[in-house]
Amino acid sequence: MSAYPKTHNPFSEDDEEEAPRRGFNFDEDPEESSLSPAERRQQRLQQEVMRTAQSAVDSSQRSIGLIYQSEKVGTETAEELIRQGEALKRTERMIDNMDQDMKTSQRHINTIKSVWGGMVNYFKAKPEPPRPAQKDQPVSYEANSSLQNALAESKQQEDKYHASHPNLRKLETSGFGASASLDNGPSDQNGYPKNKQLRAAHQQLDTNLDEMASGLSRLRGLGLGLQAEINDQDVSLDSLLNKADNMDGKISSTNRQLKNLK
Amino acid sequence: MDNSGKEKEAMQLMAEADKKVKSSGSFLGGMFGGNHKVEDACEMYARAANMFKMAKNWSAAGSAFCQAARLHMQMQNKLDSATSFVDAGNAYKKADPQEAINCLNAAIDIYTDMGRFTIAAKHHMTIAEIYESELVDIEKTIAHYEQAADYYKGEESNSSANKCLLKVGSYSAQLEQYPKAIEIYEQVATSTMDNPLLKYNAKEYFWKAALCHFIVDELNAKLAIEKYEGMFPAFSDSRECKLLKKLLEAHEEQNSEAFTEAVKEFDSISRLDQWQTTMLLRIKKTIQGDAGDLK
Repeated sequence: MSAYPKTHNPFSEDDEEEAPRRGFNFDEDPEESSLSPAERRQQRLQQEVMRTAQSAVDSSQRSIGLIYQSEKVGTETAEELIRQGEALKRTERMIDNMDQDMKTSQRHINTIKSVWGGMVNYFKAKPEPPRPAQKDQPVSYEANSSLQNALAESKQQEDKYHASHPNLRKLETSGFGASASLDNGPSDQNGYPKNKQLRAAHQQLDTNLDEMASGLSRLRGLGLGLQAEINDQDVSLDSLLNKADNMDGKISSTNRQLKNLK
Repeated sequence: MDNSGKEKEAMQLMAEADKKVKSSGSFLGGMFGGNHKVEDACEMYARAANMFKMAKNWSAAGSAFCQAARLHMQMQNKLDSATSFVDAGNAYKKADPQEAINCLNAAIDIYTDMGRFTIAAKHHMTIAEIYESELVDIEKTIAHYEQAADYYKGEESNSSANKCLLKVGSYSAQLEQYPKAIEIYEQVATSTMDNPLLKYNAKEYFWKAALCHFIVDELNAKLAIEKYEGMFPAFSDSRECKLLKKLLEAHEEQNSEAFTEAVKEFDSISRLDQWQTTMLLRIKKTIQGDAGDLK
């Protein structure tokens, strides 16, 4: 936003906007009423700058609020997801147990069906005890490593972000520079308080943007962790589906055999 | 939708089933395979109950399921009995919460007998939810959630256990049982702060524990915050921690306006929920109580 006045078109706008302000100036500072168009324009632009800075601060406040909301939703989702992951593991363990039981009952049925079947059983290997489920550790490790990568990456990005962010730098220098370069005597007094306010607004904007940056990096880490967890659960859901289908087949065949036994 | 017709059919089925049960009780019935009849009766009760459900006659459906459950018990079919009790509980939930709780309790007894603690825990949670919403009885809610959390812990389902424990904590704090609430929140926070996915919420639990400390005593709160910061460095960056420090200052100076100001500022970015607002109000009252001025 250049602060150098362009004297042609905006005059009509100037008149509309400046009218109430000129009245204001009349009361306070009669000299200011005879401001050159350039200085009037400068005032108008300063007020524009103030307004813009203020609206930027407000919008960044809102953004921070939204970021925290997203984080809250994300954390609750993460908890729910982990709960489901545990339920899935439990289910898998139970299906494995069922599998063992089915094998045992199959052997019993074989014995009942015929003497020959009983002898076959004797030679068949005994069903092994179920493997203890050790899936808890790997899942957390996987999420951990991808999460760590995410954190490292986001830190690098954060530095780059700070160094290269154009808007921040430009606004500051232009805000101060404009008023400094056009400060001639009378407008100096008007310029300085605005400078302070502007500075405060910019500082607030800076802190807000910092907060947003850290919040976003947290969100990113959260998102990546969620993704890893969901991928894992996908895999175990597939294997669970297969096992359940197999179970189904075994149960129906066992049922048939039992009916035939009668 | 022919639901009224369904209801009549259902009543017919019930009557038939009753007859069957009675007949199987008699001498002759018992001789000629009473069990068979009882099984048939069970099935008929279940069908009748389903038809009552279609006709939206929840209490009749509930009682039909209960009958079926009792018959199953007679035949030593524990699993079937428990499932029927659960169905009865679900049906009664919409009509008579107290009956629902009775049925669910019966189901839980069967499940714990069989060693199926996970599912018993799930039903404890359902009962606790009924106490929470319909028959508002906070003590019983806490008791059931605690029981559920214990069972879940026993079955190594820590996330589900934590969910129940959090509810216990928030209700205990509401009933001013602060030491219990503090212990629970600290426990949950320390267990989640290492998990890469759950650690984002650990700060929330530390914040709640610190709030409870604060209500009890300001010095406790200070010590607690230092302890938490040592345990979990990310806590010190969080806005909750900053708010806590501001509140501690305001409390020291007995300045309730600064207190309100800080709370408002926090609220403008992320809203405070009902529980937190209640706790903060209690803390604020202690400030005003000490200062001796009315609100």
